[in-house]
Amino acid sequence: MSQLSQQLAGLPLVTIVVFLPLLGSILLAFLPSSRPQLIRYVALGIALVTWAVSLVMLAGYDNAAGGYQFTQSIDRIPMFGITYTVGVDGLSLALVVLTTTLTWISILASFGPIQTRVKEYMVSFLVLEIGMIGVFVALDLFLFYIFWELVLVPMYLIIGIWGGKNRIYATIKFVLYTLVGSLLMLVAILAVAYTYQAGHGGSWENAFDLQALTQYAGTGAFGGTFGLLAFGAFFLAFAIKVPMFPFHTWLPDAHVEAPTAGSVILAGVLLKLGGYGFIRFALPLFPEAAHSWAPIIIVLSLIGIIYGAIVALVQPDLKKLVAYSSVSHMGFVTLGIFVFQEQGMQGAVLQMINHGLITGALFLLVGVIYERTHDRTIAKLGGLGSPMPVYAAAFGFFVFASVGLPGLSGFVGEFLTLIGTFQVDYLAATVATFVMIFAAGYLLWMFQRLAFGEVSDFLKGLGHHLTDMKPIEALTLVPLGALVVVFGLYPGILLDLIQGPVEQTLNAVNQAAPVALGLWR
Amino acid sequence: MTVNDLALFGPVIAAILLAAAILVVDFIAPGRFVPAIVVTFMGLTLVGAITAITGQAAANEPGGSLTAFNGAYVVDALTTYLDLLFVAIVALTMAFAPDYLAERKLPVAEFAAVLVFAMSGAMLIAGSADLLVLFLGLELMVLPGYMLAGYHKTDGYSTEGAIKYFLLGSFSSAIFLFGLAFVWGLTGTTSIAGVWQILEGGIPLSPGLGLGLAFLMTGVAFKIAAVPFHYWTPDAYQGSPTPVTGYLSVGPKVGAFALIIRLFGDALGPLAADWNVIIMILAALTMTLGNLVALTQDNVKRMLAYSSIAHTGYMLVGFAAYGAGQILGLEGLLFYGAAYAFMNLGAFAVIAAIQRRLGVTSNLSTFSGLIRREPALALMMTLFLLSLTGIPPTAGFFGKFYVILAAVNAGSTNGWLTVLAVVTMINAAIAAFYYLRVVVYMWMRDPQTEEPALPHGRLVWTGLAVATVFTIALGLIPGGLLTIVQSAAEAVTQLPAS
Repeated sequence: MSQLSQQLAGLPLVTIVVFLPLLGSILLAFLPSSRPQLIRYVALGIALVTWAVSLVMLAGYDNAAGGYQFTQSIDRIPMFGITYTVGVDGLSLALVVLTTTLTWISILASFGPIQTRVKEYMVSFLVLEIGMIGVFVALDLFLFYIFWELVLVPMYLIIGIWGGKNRIYATIKFVLYTLVGSLLMLVAILAVAYTYQAGHGGSWENAFDLQALTQYAGTGAFGGTFGLLAFGAFFLAFAIKVPMFPFHTWLPDAHVEAPTAGSVILAGVLLKLGGYGFIRFALPLFPEAAHSWAPIIIVLSLIGIIYGAIVALVQPDLKKLVAYSSVSHMGFVTLGIFVFQEQGMQGAVLQMINHGLITGALFLLVGVIYERTHDRTIAKLGGLGSPMPVYAAAFGFFVFASVGLPGLSGFVGEFLTLIGTFQVDYLAATVATFVMIFAAGYLLWMFQRLAFGEVSDFLKGLGHHLTDMKPIEALTLVPLGALVVVFGLYPGILLDLIQGPVEQTLNAVNQAAPVALGLWR
Repeated sequence: MTVNDLALFGPVIAAILLAAAILVVDFIAPGRFVPAIVVTFMGLTLVGAITAITGQAAANEPGGSLTAFNGAYVVDALTTYLDLLFVAIVALTMAFAPDYLAERKLPVAEFAAVLVFAMSGAMLIAGSADLLVLFLGLELMVLPGYMLAGYHKTDGYSTEGAIKYFLLGSFSSAIFLFGLAFVWGLTGTTSIAGVWQILEGGIPLSPGLGLGLAFLMTGVAFKIAAVPFHYWTPDAYQGSPTPVTGYLSVGPKVGAFALIIRLFGDALGPLAADWNVIIMILAALTMTLGNLVALTQDNVKRMLAYSSIAHTGYMLVGFAAYGAGQILGLEGLLFYGAAYAFMNLGAFAVIAAIQRRLGVTSNLSTFSGLIRREPALALMMTLFLLSLTGIPPTAGFFGKFYVILAAVNAGSTNGWLTVLAVVTMINAAIAAFYYLRVVVYMWMRDPQTEEPALPHGRLVWTGLAVATVFTIALGLIPGGLLTIVQSAAEAVTQLPAS
């Protein structure tokens, strides 16, 4: 392992992973639009190569050494100390691999459903991949912001062009929500950089460098009212992305209107940008403010968990149900992060990754049935089990994973989060635990209506069109299913990877201001 | 007057001679497009070269500046930067105007000549070291603008817009002149450096000076179309021929900002504490109102007119930061000016290209399905709109970044500037809605007409390519322009007292 690390250390692997999709999208732009099949395979090929490189990076990461590796730093605008600095630690690495995996799966899943303007679609998807990976590897606040905004444009096009009936409303809502948050975050980023500069004799050097800023934050430089406001701006940006109650209203619209692959990426990666932002940027930069805000955020998380579950319970639309379940599941992520406790935060990270895998798979499954029926009303789809047994089994598997069945990965994240929360705050943990019953309720009830019972008249009317899963569709689900089992049975692989970064963030937070945690104590 | 004076004044003289030369060419070959265009571009290259040479000569001086005509005209890094920017603006306008004019049987030579006259006025402002020269330059810049706005003589809207523009423009010029008279009366000098010295010596803000300041502010606010003095803008912009609108939204605006820098920065700097409050209020009002009204527009030209009002507000934020003692603010304003020039002219160039066919309106529906009808134009328009929105990595983003950085920095001494920065960002989010609406029409709707697109000339494509390259390059690698902008900002006398 360490030999491999040494051999790879000289390669700018991170940069390669970030910009391979760019090369690919330029290549795609020169292919003739009249040959969609060629474009599809080339796009898939690029995504697979990017995935492979990210796996090489994973293999080459020296976990024993920890910290940021494969770092690379180039001055971009030295006048303001803006650099191109990238690097990965265990946390970013896990999320980068999640991104590259879901990207090729999404591209593969788009082979059938996307029949118009294939070239633009594939180019958008690859550009999206650049932005997503970039956010996870950027170690410079300016660079981070650029990648953060870069994600917006392709997703806007993907929902707006290839989406459902109400796509334009949904996509504009998505963009505006995200933009409001991120623009205020930009002000906060600049204020942080300025404070750093003012504290270093007016020199802009390293003023946007995450590591330097984090270190400076450790001296309490970003505390007080300034910290509260700046953290508020970061919080808004990340809370909208996660999305936390009450900033979640863009999510159901965006999910319902987005094409299947768009939903997969949205749920699988885009929502994680928020959680990642909290752990990597908001907490280490403003540890004092994080403590002050934590009670409010915990309450909002709990509301999100309960609210998402209750609303999911009454959704007649399959996709909307999965979307609201995301709100509920992502509530666990913010809950786990803001109890400032090791197991809690590890659980939150696991929950982020598992939610990406499981909800991604659920959206793929919804897409499979929508392709055949062009309807997503649960009531109409009753009794799918007999015409599509394989499909129903696969759906069942991921529903159980989502419910949190022990042995599958969904369980581990929520369990750890709850353990962490219990150590800090009984009441919050109790509330969150009871909501898991709701989760079992809405998911299992949905599955029961969908898979069992009499075949509905609507399905009978479709007759022989109702074929079971095609190999290509199964191919998109098998890797996700495998990972769900692996992470469920042996979460240690992931925990080893994320332990270092989580400890680092927690140290920063807990050293700064050991204020008493909890809401009602 | 010495030879040296004339040599330093070279860029302006060359511009005026060029305008005359274009008219002579038109006299020799009446109504012909090619000779007039060739002469214009050759002349603009020459003007640019002379500007660079005089600029270099000034930069070699110990103080970085050279004065002419007994200190009435100055060449420093700021003059050179603004002059080159004006040349670029006029060249870009000339790149996409001929196709549009030819289709409407409008003459090109007069257009070019008037445009170059306006440019010479703007250059005069940039280099003015005397209040009278400043006013002279202002008038020389805006008078051709009135003519251009009414260039489509047979079009009622064009004439209406021109008359509105003319009446309010000359009215505001008068107010401005009145303000100058007050300043002269109370300081006893028209020299910009002289005014600074006397004000710095500690004249209390007497009612007369306050009145003068108010008049000057009003006049300038009219010229940059700041709310609540913006009412002429939408009509003038919508009525004018599209290439003219593009020019009007950029050229006179950047020129008026040059005037603001010379007047408020160089001459009235010691009174910064007094005028900066008004600048901040104007900035907040201007961008908020501009954006809110732009939201409701269905005509893209009119929408961009209101959006240009909003951009005035963003630029004022930079100036407000400068007024609070942050040189970064002035740098940001200068950078924003260049970024805005390229992205806004680019957007108008696309509209002009689409409107080449007679009778095509600039309504939103015209843009339906543009990506399928004219993919290259639609891609460029998307880029320009994203840049206007401020999405990285484009010129517009870096411009906003710069201005906001300055405002946040200045916020450490004056908290209201931080508030202004936040207001700016909220505005940027509002603006995203209407810019993206055009993108929605271009990408997500079906074309409304099956008419094949008219081909566009090489000149238009070249102009668009230049605007595209700059819009991307200023965002990706802003470093080069940053150094230029910094030295230009340093040329201003000194930081106002904050």
